[in-house]
Amino acid sequence: MRRQGLQGLIRVGGPALLVPALFVTVPLMTAPLAPGALASGDVATTGEPATEQAQAQAAPIADVELGLSRGSVFDVPSPPPVVENEAEPGESVRLPRAYPGAPALVPHAVADLLPITRRDNLCLDCHAVEIEEPGEGEPTPIPESHYLDLRNAPGVRRDAVAGARYNCLSCHAAPTAAAPLVGDPGGS
Amino acid sequence: MSATELSRRELLKATVAAAAASAVGLPVPGSSVPGGAELLDEVTGWRWDKGVCRFCGVGCGLRIATREGRVVAVEGDRDNPVNRGLLCVKGYANAQILYGEDRLRRPLLRMKGGRFDKRGEFVAVSWERAFDEMERQFKRVHAELGPTGVGIMGSGQYTVQEGYAAAKLVKAGWRSNNLDPNARHCMASAVAAFMQVFGIDEPSGNYDDIELTDTVVLWGANMAEMHPMLWARIVDKRLADPGYRVVNLTTFRNRCSDLADLEIVFKPNTDLAIWNYVAREIVRRGAVDREFVDRHCVFATGPYDIGFGMRSGAEFAFAAERDTQAREREVVLSRAEAIAQRRDPAAEHRVAQASAATAGKHWLIGFEEFTKALEPYTLEFVAELSQGDPDEPPATYRQKLVQLADLYADPKRKAVSFWTMGFNQHTRGTWVNEQAYMVHLLTGKQAKPGNGAFSLTGQPSACGTAREVGTFSHRLPADMVVDDPQHRARAEELWKLPAGTVNPKPGSHITKMMRDLEDGSLKWLWVQVTNPFQSTANANHWLGPAREKDNFIVVSDVYPTLSCKVADLILPSAMIFEKWGAYGNSERRTQVWSEQVPPPGEARSDLWQVLEFSKRFKLAEVWGAQPVPGLEAPGFEPGRLPEVLAAARELGYGPEATLYDVLFATPANRRVRWPDAVAEGRDNHTVVHAGIDWFPEKALFEEYAAFGRGHAHDLAPFDVYYGDDVRGLRWPVVDGRETAWRFNEEYDPYAARGSGFDFYGPAGKSLPRGDLDGVTDPEPVALAGKAKIFFRPYAEPPESPDEEYDLWLSTGRVLEHWHSGSMTRRVPELHRAVPTAQLFIHPADAKERGLARNDLAWIDSRRGRIQARVETAGRNPVPRGLVFVPWFDEGVFINKVTLDATCPISKETDFKKCAVKVYKV
Repeated sequence: MRRQGLQGLIRVGGPALLVPALFVTVPLMTAPLAPGALASGDVATTGEPATEQAQAQAAPIADVELGLSRGSVFDVPSPPPVVENEAEPGESVRLPRAYPGAPALVPHAVADLLPITRRDNLCLDCHAVEIEEPGEGEPTPIPESHYLDLRNAPGVRRDAVAGARYNCLSCHAAPTAAAPLVGDPGGS
Repeated sequence: MSATELSRRELLKATVAAAAASAVGLPVPGSSVPGGAELLDEVTGWRWDKGVCRFCGVGCGLRIATREGRVVAVEGDRDNPVNRGLLCVKGYANAQILYGEDRLRRPLLRMKGGRFDKRGEFVAVSWERAFDEMERQFKRVHAELGPTGVGIMGSGQYTVQEGYAAAKLVKAGWRSNNLDPNARHCMASAVAAFMQVFGIDEPSGNYDDIELTDTVVLWGANMAEMHPMLWARIVDKRLADPGYRVVNLTTFRNRCSDLADLEIVFKPNTDLAIWNYVAREIVRRGAVDREFVDRHCVFATGPYDIGFGMRSGAEFAFAAERDTQAREREVVLSRAEAIAQRRDPAAEHRVAQASAATAGKHWLIGFEEFTKALEPYTLEFVAELSQGDPDEPPATYRQKLVQLADLYADPKRKAVSFWTMGFNQHTRGTWVNEQAYMVHLLTGKQAKPGNGAFSLTGQPSACGTAREVGTFSHRLPADMVVDDPQHRARAEELWKLPAGTVNPKPGSHITKMMRDLEDGSLKWLWVQVTNPFQSTANANHWLGPAREKDNFIVVSDVYPTLSCKVADLILPSAMIFEKWGAYGNSERRTQVWSEQVPPPGEARSDLWQVLEFSKRFKLAEVWGAQPVPGLEAPGFEPGRLPEVLAAARELGYGPEATLYDVLFATPANRRVRWPDAVAEGRDNHTVVHAGIDWFPEKALFEEYAAFGRGHAHDLAPFDVYYGDDVRGLRWPVVDGRETAWRFNEEYDPYAARGSGFDFYGPAGKSLPRGDLDGVTDPEPVALAGKAKIFFRPYAEPPESPDEEYDLWLSTGRVLEHWHSGSMTRRVPELHRAVPTAQLFIHPADAKERGLARNDLAWIDSRRGRIQARVETAGRNPVPRGLVFVPWFDEGVFINKVTLDATCPISKETDFKKCAVKVYKV
């Protein structure tokens, strides 16, 4: 299971922050139930293979152990602080794509570059460049595919990025430093 | 291994992959070198097929790559007109959502000492053991309470076939109408308005209207985040066309504002007043399209005293929520409401909510009455009432309203209005939907290319399944309803059921099912393809009863959700590409996919689960006389469904026949054989697991399609949708042709020749006449072919900020996460982008409460309190006085705070408005 955040992937100005998931639980309402009150009667176990039973008995799972937010549904957890990616453009390292063809992730801070408006698109200001082999500190160039207008003029290369692709963050996620909640479901 | 080592490895992996790709000169999929994709497939062994996105109601076309039983990549389908090769950040995650580490692979039953025990821990059991317990508990509850004691909560994420099977099992088999989808929370208000205005559900227009119009107005629809690929089409058009105008009406600034020409931030619920201002301006300026209105429309209105869909009794109310709940019985009109409802603003008006049970009733009025009703909605009144950002200069705000009216009233402009949850999740949701049609019909800007009020949906098959199949507690397929004797008769005929089998009393809507769990009138619940214990408002009422009362809750899902934690039995389901299916999107486009990969472990398709469980019921157990409390219908004994076993025998069904035999494995369905050429060698694990030689997804699709064919809901034959050149078809599909604009004679074969426009929907087309206060002449008037222009007044929500709970709370979604996050939060790229639901609050409101960015804050309402991290910047800069919290995060369980008030007509919850206080932890 991969559990690291982005700290290792991004050179940040300050020391890398590893933030533990902080869950303070505050009981809100828990009403006790008489033991066995809702137990069913005898249970037919036909068709239950012995191995299955053995396996089942070996590992009962409490509901508090299930799901993304470990704990009781009656608890009120304290969510962890959000640790932004503070790497500046030009100082960050490209992140692996989820699978071949998946959109590139934004490896640097974006807060100061937003919003994208009709007048200002700071993403394009840097990335709408032609660089064959971008070196360290150079922006990842927007690929040729983005200059094709697949709806209005298929097959024609335009000088500007297709309007439908103008909102870069619609497709390109900009990760914070949070660690994945469960194991990595990455493709192959 | 340290994090640094791991990350080095990741980096290395990425570098190697990139180098390998460039070495063979391969573009990655999605890039555009001709022939590149084919070359890549040859090298990688990938097999590509068409599919549909798992997420929102846009219905983007996918191409899915599989290799060795695993989905390895997806890309946008360039041949699909919906998205033309693009996908949003969630769309690309379709390749990953199947592979979260904690996929459910085996049934899990709460047990102690080898037996089911509601206080037990989850133990893996066989499917047979799981169904044994489900059956035992069902029959125990059924014996005690009859068909209304059991229910299924379904979803707008059901495939068409799954929803149809569930509807048939519940309505035809169990004779319960307790089947309701999470789509109730999503677009029931849109449905109610479609039925009341047009007499038939779903939009007249389609997505092409985006390119064909010159004016787009968003009302409570943050399309940039929730329908990103439609927003991409709007942005594309706006950037290319300087005359194109985009307006964003919203209660807080969002990403749509960044590219809009005009942003109008209004106060919650005052959209009702803004529409009436626009309508008043249209009338005042002489901008009514007289010919269109005279030929194709009538005017109507209904009662105002309809309550808020809350429980009328306070028996289960928390002490703190009694004052809010009292408004269900009586409302003291505010000054603004008094003006808006033509009453003396100086006097006190205590209004008993006498029409709560008949909220949908309406009657005809004349144009003069209609204009009289609009009279109070002057610019001055509406601007003062509706301004949502206290820091905006009032003159600026007033000017914006004028600009809005200018756009709608200009006869040279076309107009498309889009809305989603801002309208639908509204205690006057049906009204505000109807007001959109009011303005579009008045100006003749409806059902024409580039013109139309267009309700967007949130879920991939909210239209295709929840609405068209009719998985609602009051519906049958193809817009029919259970309380109409002719509709029941038609369903019974098509389903080959004895007359009187289908229950004429509508069942419990999804929020009421929760209330039923609390009051003990529902004790057996099966949840499929949804996460209702996270998604239903006022959750503190439902969690306790679910865990502590005498009931049995089954949750079928793909990952352990919050609802799974509440369940007694968890069933592992197959996901989208692990089964065959069809979805219907917001523009009436039905799209299909084939099974791509097998489900993991013992996960089974939801269709298999319904079919298999139906084998547990003999007719004698469910088709005898059954108690249905409150049932009153012509031809039925009060409170009782008749025994239909004798009639069943005449149809050839013996008492030992099972519901599986009678409902699903019918002779006609068994003739639809598997394997089928349409599969081109692909697998079908519903068939494999059921051990059958027929093709249930195809058989049930065709059986369902019979309901709509010839009734303006025509679907094409199953195989047609699988054609290489087909990317879904917009129904009605008549003579092999889809319908782009309904009700328009030029495009819709159902519109009568010579009519020009024919609003032919059959529902509610016979109305009494009246004035603004009520019916004056009960003699019904026939309205064939007409659409209704409703007057609906401004009304306040059941709960507004006050001295103690001093902030509005709105909830919603974010681009990166889908609904309750059960899939998207397991995709690292999406989770990292938005790892937690934050509390969006204005910096001044935060400062006043001693809160800084990232601080922990309590969000506290009359119903519950939770904690969240403060965000004073970011994508949603809210105005002072309002906070926004997304609901995807079960660790920030905002539905413990929200109010379960609904639109009394549609029964859809208002998740956008309640009052909270916020303070530092």
